[in-house]
Amino acid sequence: MSWVLARGLSRGWGSICWDTLSGSHFSQVTPQAPWSLHYSTVNHKDEAWLVPQPSEPQRKPIRVLTPHEELFRPSPDGERDKASFVGAVQNFRQYSVHKRGHVDFIYLALRKMQEFGVERDLAVYNLLLDVFPKEVFRPRNVFQRIFVHYPRQQECGIAVLEQMERHGIMPNKDTEFLLIQIFGYKSYPMLKFLRMKLWLTRFKNINPYPIPRDLPQDPVDLAKLGLRHMEPDLSAKVTVYQMALPSDTPGAEDPTQPHIVGIQSPEQQATLAHHNPSRPVFVEGPFSLWLRNKCVYYYILRADLPPPEEKKVEEIPEEWNLYYPMKLDLDYARGNWDNYEFDIDKVTEGPIFAMCMAGAHDQGTLIKWIQGLQETNPALAQIPVVFRLARSPGELLTSSGLEGPSPLQAPPQGQEDDHPLQPLQQQGQSGVSGA
Amino acid sequence: MFGCSLLRRAAAVARAWQGLEVLRARRRPLHTSPQCPAFAKELFLGNLELKGIFPFPEVSQDELNEINQFVGPVEKFFTEEVDSRKIDQEGKIPVDTLEKLKSLGLFGMQVPEEYGGLGLSNTMYARLGEIISMDGSISVTLAAHQAIGLKGIILVGSEEQKAKYLPKLASGEHIAAFCLTEPASGSDAASIQTRATLSEDKKHFVLNGSKVWITNGALASIFTVFAKTEVVDSDGSTKDKITAFIVERGFGGITNGKPEDKLGIRGSNTCEVHFENTKVPVENVLGEVGGGFKVSCRNVLDSCMGFFCHVYFSYNCSLELTTEYACTRKQFNRNLSEFGLIQEKFALMAQKAYVMESMAYLTAGMLDQPGFPDCSIEAAMVKVFSSEAAWQCVSEALQILGGSGYMKDYPYERMLRDSRILLIFEGTNEILRMYIALTGLQHAGRILTSRINELKRGNVITVMETIGRRLRDSLGRAVDLGLTGNPGFVHPSLGDSAVKLEENVYYFGRTVETLLLRFGKTIVEEQLVLKRVANILINLYGMTAVLSRASRSIRIGLQNHDHEVLLANMFCVEAYFQNLFSLSQLDKYAPENLDEQIKKVSQQILEKRAYVCAHPLDRTS
Repeated sequence: MSWVLARGLSRGWGSICWDTLSGSHFSQVTPQAPWSLHYSTVNHKDEAWLVPQPSEPQRKPIRVLTPHEELFRPSPDGERDKASFVGAVQNFRQYSVHKRGHVDFIYLALRKMQEFGVERDLAVYNLLLDVFPKEVFRPRNVFQRIFVHYPRQQECGIAVLEQMERHGIMPNKDTEFLLIQIFGYKSYPMLKFLRMKLWLTRFKNINPYPIPRDLPQDPVDLAKLGLRHMEPDLSAKVTVYQMALPSDTPGAEDPTQPHIVGIQSPEQQATLAHHNPSRPVFVEGPFSLWLRNKCVYYYILRADLPPPEEKKVEEIPEEWNLYYPMKLDLDYARGNWDNYEFDIDKVTEGPIFAMCMAGAHDQGTLIKWIQGLQETNPALAQIPVVFRLARSPGELLTSSGLEGPSPLQAPPQGQEDDHPLQPLQQQGQSGVSGA
Repeated sequence: MFGCSLLRRAAAVARAWQGLEVLRARRRPLHTSPQCPAFAKELFLGNLELKGIFPFPEVSQDELNEINQFVGPVEKFFTEEVDSRKIDQEGKIPVDTLEKLKSLGLFGMQVPEEYGGLGLSNTMYARLGEIISMDGSISVTLAAHQAIGLKGIILVGSEEQKAKYLPKLASGEHIAAFCLTEPASGSDAASIQTRATLSEDKKHFVLNGSKVWITNGALASIFTVFAKTEVVDSDGSTKDKITAFIVERGFGGITNGKPEDKLGIRGSNTCEVHFENTKVPVENVLGEVGGGFKVSCRNVLDSCMGFFCHVYFSYNCSLELTTEYACTRKQFNRNLSEFGLIQEKFALMAQKAYVMESMAYLTAGMLDQPGFPDCSIEAAMVKVFSSEAAWQCVSEALQILGGSGYMKDYPYERMLRDSRILLIFEGTNEILRMYIALTGLQHAGRILTSRINELKRGNVITVMETIGRRLRDSLGRAVDLGLTGNPGFVHPSLGDSAVKLEENVYYFGRTVETLLLRFGKTIVEEQLVLKRVANILINLYGMTAVLSRASRSIRIGLQNHDHEVLLANMFCVEAYFQNLFSLSQLDKYAPENLDEQIKKVSQQILEKRAYVCAHPLDRTS
């Protein structure tokens, strides 16, 4: 395993390293090179920088006061912003002219970044790298180059770069200059840097359905975004059926009027209009949708697949096109050699007529949505609507079923929906409403 | 010596006989098909149907004199009295101009003489159209009046209807308009919303609905209106069918929207027409109840023919003006006319004009022959070719003038605007291409049914025959469809071009067969294939027309026929290579064929409804 990784590393260097990593040295380097790097500091920080969670009480029952923690104490005015973070770093540099304990400080600073809201600031990362003493860790001879020179420091440098990578921050020329100054050109942080340069650009736009980096705070806007994100048809119309009462109204702790936002495309509208009124339609949900670190829940209005005998054969009207025939009167079809369609086993599903997101997860709210839909879909008034609401949203069930949320799955603090469970558990499994 | 000459003569006779044989072979399918096959449809089978095409149709001296009699005063009127610029600026044809047009009889050019019209043949109509088209707005107004507006009455109207309406329409006392297009319905007849319901006393229909973009909508007093009516089928069920009505403005309930502001042909009147409870007597049904679809089909396709002549205007006039400019404007101490790139433009314009003329008069001549089959494909081809050529040539003419062409002082910008509509109305060129290709393929597909079915079943003889033919084709066999040789239809100086045409026709027939074998009736969905088929066919028709016309010019010794030979040969070579390219694109797995990529690109763009590429200045880091 370690050998594979080392080989990967040495490949990564390619021509750069080849002169130093000659065959005889190779076997010596491999066992120690990258792996020992990782284990050297794994004791308490490893997890923390894998998943940057500001607070993980359940993981650390005994909290050891890390050195330099006092630098990040909130200032008297309680502000935690970039200026105070930069101030803390400057303070460290003044306080310890010899940069003693800078590795611990950098690890600490990395963890603190999110608290200060600077985790997406390239200048701050460069400032952190600037804490390293220059020229000290540069390998000076061939042996230093072969063995990992100052592994703990190099690893710390990699940690900085990795945190940048996780937040999608692209290093710039300054970063490169700093890394060369600190670790030299042939070092692992530099290798990491080059790889980031190569891959980050390629992965940046890999998602064909990009989500804005900063999600809207307003739940209505968030719902609009989520619905648009799911609906492929661009001519679909988002309707706000109901706005939430402003939070400063009296009795706001029990908002009786949650927001309801729905989406429906013209095509869905047409399908609903042609729905056989004797067959019910279903409101189903809640289903979860993750938008970055937020989870929202949506409901769908759907119907079962109409039985084959009800399917209308779309006939071509005789008098259709004034100019040219819409079908040729020939009794032979396409040749088999020219049938480019793959033989795909298509599972046909029933139609989905509309989707919505609501501030509350009870049947009453959803009835209001259906009533709103009836204004644009008069056919819906004749169709029985069955509410099939799950007791709890699917995604949360799995994560809450575990013993304590894993750091990856547990929604961060600013999460929108932490308590959809209670209202849902109170309500019935399903109910038929004439609507 | 004697033996030698005898041999030579024998060879000539043999060749002639061979030619006759070929002719006979060509004619043979004539007897099997019910009527004389149309030229374009036969091309789909790889046959050249020469009857009616070679020699080029001529008019008699009497007729020619008659035409010239008409042409003289009309030309004088258009050059001296019509101010196109003013018409364009004011967006209206002056009343006295309209009156003069009426007195010249131009409102009844194609109305039979017994109803007070001029009763011109298609050829004569085309000749007059050339003059009329000196002004786009007048040309469109007249075309909307007679090529489509009253054509329905001439084509399918009853005797009473003709007697009642045609005289006043011919004199211009009444102007006609053709009301088909609706907000939701362009060429889609099924979505027509205007409805006519039979009143309880069954004496009249009540018409309700609105029509858009009606040329002459505000001027007209007689409308040909298409509306849906309920028709009881033979099996007793009721169905909505389209019926055509002759509606007089006096029937009441007819209102107009305000005139539309257009890019070109600004002098013509285009507006919405609304019908509200208009009572139309039963006897004003055009054709039969429920038969409106056929009427409209015939009408719109026939009108293609009516419109081609209105394209021509750009040429005479633009060529004259630009040549003068090119020969007088000096740059770098040389006349513009000495520069190769300018000369090229004139050659292009002349060539296009020549092809267009040839195609138009050939088609008109075919239409004028009694008992000649339906030439709607040919008419559609003329429309497509000439409208595109017009647009291209006017734009080239404007280019020759450079900056001045862009100014309103010169007529080119107006011509450019006016000619743009030609690509759009009376069936957009895209739709007409589909018509051209599909009508021909339908014809070929029916005739080839048994052969294709045998090939599909794997009938050994047919398969071997096909393979053998392919092999012979691939070894480069000379195609002889009887155009050249002795007696050839084509003059020897055009022999090379004729051979090229024959080769194209032959391989086109083979390609059509392969396409039908490959796609069958689903070829309707392959629009990119159909477009190429139509393009090839238009080129073939153009080649035939120029060859026929140039041969005639040489034989009867018309002035400057050597120039015609040049133009004809030039066009044929160009079209030949275009056809070869299109044919190779139609092959399976052809590297020239980018259809898959085209579809993918447009699909991705349409999915996002935007141009999806990142900006060239964008960065990822």
